[in-house]
Amino acid sequence: MKAYLAKKLLAFPVILIGVSLLIFVSIRALPGDPARMMAGPEATQEAVDHMRTRLGLDLPLVTQYAHFARDVLHGNLGLSLQSQQPVTQEIGERLPYTLALAVLAYFLAIVIGVPAGMMGAIYRNRWPDYGVMLLAIAGASVANFWLGLMAMNTFSVELGWLPLLGASSWKSYILPSVTLAVLPMAVMARMTRSSMLDVLSEDYIRTARAKGLSAMSIYCSHAFRNALIPIVTIVALNFGSLVGGAVVTESVFNWPGIGRLLVDSVRYRDYPVIQGVALVAVCGVVLMNLLGELLIALLNPKIRFE
Amino acid sequence: MKGFRTIGCPGRLTLLGCALLGALASPAYSATLTVMQNEAPRSMDPGNQTATFTATVLDPMYEGLLKMSPALKLEPALATSWSSDASGLVWTFTLRSGVTFHDGTPFNADAVVSNFARHLDVKRGLAASGRLRTFIDSVTKVDDRTVVFKLKKPYPAFLNLLTTGACLMVSPTADKAGTLDSKAVGTGPYKMVQYKTGEYVLEEKNPGYWGKSDGPEDIKWTWSSESSVMNMALQAGEADVINPVPPQFARMLKNNPKFVLHESPGASVFWVALNTQLKPLDDVRVRQALNFATDRDGLVRAIMSGFATPANSPLAPITPGYDKSLNPYPLNIEKAKALLKEAGYANGFSMSIAVQGADARIGQVLQSMWAKIGVKLDVRQMESGVWTKAAFADPAGKKADGTGAILASWSSGVSGADLQLRPLYYSGSFAPTGANLGFFSDAKLDKLLDTAASTLDENARNQLYVQAQQEINLQAPQVLLYYQNDLYATGANISNVWMIPGGNVIVKDAHKQ
Repeated sequence: MKAYLAKKLLAFPVILIGVSLLIFVSIRALPGDPARMMAGPEATQEAVDHMRTRLGLDLPLVTQYAHFARDVLHGNLGLSLQSQQPVTQEIGERLPYTLALAVLAYFLAIVIGVPAGMMGAIYRNRWPDYGVMLLAIAGASVANFWLGLMAMNTFSVELGWLPLLGASSWKSYILPSVTLAVLPMAVMARMTRSSMLDVLSEDYIRTARAKGLSAMSIYCSHAFRNALIPIVTIVALNFGSLVGGAVVTESVFNWPGIGRLLVDSVRYRDYPVIQGVALVAVCGVVLMNLLGELLIALLNPKIRFE
Repeated sequence: MKGFRTIGCPGRLTLLGCALLGALASPAYSATLTVMQNEAPRSMDPGNQTATFTATVLDPMYEGLLKMSPALKLEPALATSWSSDASGLVWTFTLRSGVTFHDGTPFNADAVVSNFARHLDVKRGLAASGRLRTFIDSVTKVDDRTVVFKLKKPYPAFLNLLTTGACLMVSPTADKAGTLDSKAVGTGPYKMVQYKTGEYVLEEKNPGYWGKSDGPEDIKWTWSSESSVMNMALQAGEADVINPVPPQFARMLKNNPKFVLHESPGASVFWVALNTQLKPLDDVRVRQALNFATDRDGLVRAIMSGFATPANSPLAPITPGYDKSLNPYPLNIEKAKALLKEAGYANGFSMSIAVQGADARIGQVLQSMWAKIGVKLDVRQMESGVWTKAAFADPAGKKADGTGAILASWSSGVSGADLQLRPLYYSGSFAPTGANLGFFSDAKLDKLLDTAASTLDENARNQLYVQAQQEINLQAPQVLLYYQNDLYATGANISNVWMIPGGNVIVKDAHKQ
């Protein structure tokens, strides 16, 4: 297990270097001139050039990357072109909001999605199964954006039960986290169902039944435990799409997280912030994947001894 | 049951997260006026930005030497009186005494000199400096309460400019410290409490304000780029003022007694700049044909739900010198076809138009209108950064991209015709350095603009601008579309909010019941 862990951890910095290079290059490839945008449409060419020099955008790309990489290693993500505040501070202020939303959404997705999927498998081809699958297909197909707007209109504007925007009280967490939870919930329900169905047709389940074990014991300890591996994989891998969903959800709900920060900074071509947020998000995804792999290794001895 | 324990773990994290964030969440403020706009502020330094919806946020915190009254007349602010010599080149201002900036720095002649010095210093590269540098020669201190401005040339909009943007007085101490972009320090009736980027700007009453101020205790600015979210925020009572109101929601708000829709003639002109260097748009007959084929009334109904005015001049109706009698291009498909035939394009031609995402529908409407005279319009929809690059490309760049037309809008507020016509039509304002996006060059117009800019008599100046409008209309370097009406909405319990044409909502004297 130690060797497995070491191997995975060693790959981490290599992935990060690759990712940082990719982020750096792709952001520079975005059309639009940040110096011009910052200087404004009426600024003279002279002012735009000065702005470019001030932002360090007149340096060769290789030099810019070298500076970027050196600063990142020192924990310095640069200054936001827009607010002139350190990017680490901007992200630091926003990250807890995004994490809280992500954790809540994941929690909801797991506590509702997984049992719903199990129910679908247990009542296969009967009405609870049809009901769960219908909802799961709807949940996986609906646009986050639309769902958010509909939820806001219903619960905030029409009924007045919940606050509409921002993160001012605990009630503010309900609508955005539910909106964000819908997609992973649907994915988990479907994944749990199919994974459970696979396991339920195994010989050892028949043996367990033949032994006269209770249904609860068969489903929960024998079947579910074995069905967990694909579920954990999906939970870990889906973190990426959750981050993507957070960008949309946060924009709709004016949520002060890093998703909205990203959207705002793309609009103003605030390179250091875009880079910083992308780097943090990618680290999060890579870490979650790593965590997923470790969990799977814990659950399944076959993997860690390979 | 091990599996359940594993997946139960995130629950504990959630509770921890909620508790942590509950502590971070901002307290509820009473007597707070909340204003929601459609974009985030760009800087807390009025000299380092040029966006209207940032200027509105800064307005309660900063003042200029002069200010604009609700009747759009110039009034004393930080200067108590002013006069000029006969040439209009030397202006003397007497400054108000007993004024301090929010950080305690005294407001005096040194502060004024340092405020303009930072704009005249080319090395600073502040975003709003450009315009001042074209006409201000020097600003000098006479004594503690008197400053003298020397201009390079007479500049009719000079006093108007002193009320806004780059001419708003910032604390020299804060400027030196380099913190103005994130922390506003002016002399206004409100001072900045907090700027949470991506969330809000909170301003509170300045107890040391020199003048009278009876607005709300606090003003909170928020923003969302989703117009439906702005609309919902007003309906749910989370915003007291929303600015601007998109036309599609305007009628609904107008009919709802819980809200007040404020509509006034705006300063923004929407037009299509035609690339006068690209064939066949280099032929004035082709450009005129496109104008005759454009149904402006239909466009205003279809796109703006009627909350706009068809444009007949490159100047907006609120701009001094605007001539409402002009009507150069009434809808006339036959005439348009005849002009195209005369130019040798009886079967029409293909061209492209660059539009920003939000304006894509205008492009589509034009596409169907111009199809009637055989013009195939390729609508290129772009994200705003991409659009800026395409719109401000130089002649060679536009030729390479095949950019025939650019859909754009421009607002010079009430600052005068020169600030509308010179950047857009003067031959020295070609993109990328100016906003003459279609590279229009006309010696007659250049001369008219130059003469007008140095004519101090208002009537004579306006006469010259009428001739300029006629010349531009005749040469048709553009297809004029409409003047957008300024629309903002408030709750019915809000009063005393007003607007400077162009979207500058003024809330510092608002009353909330």
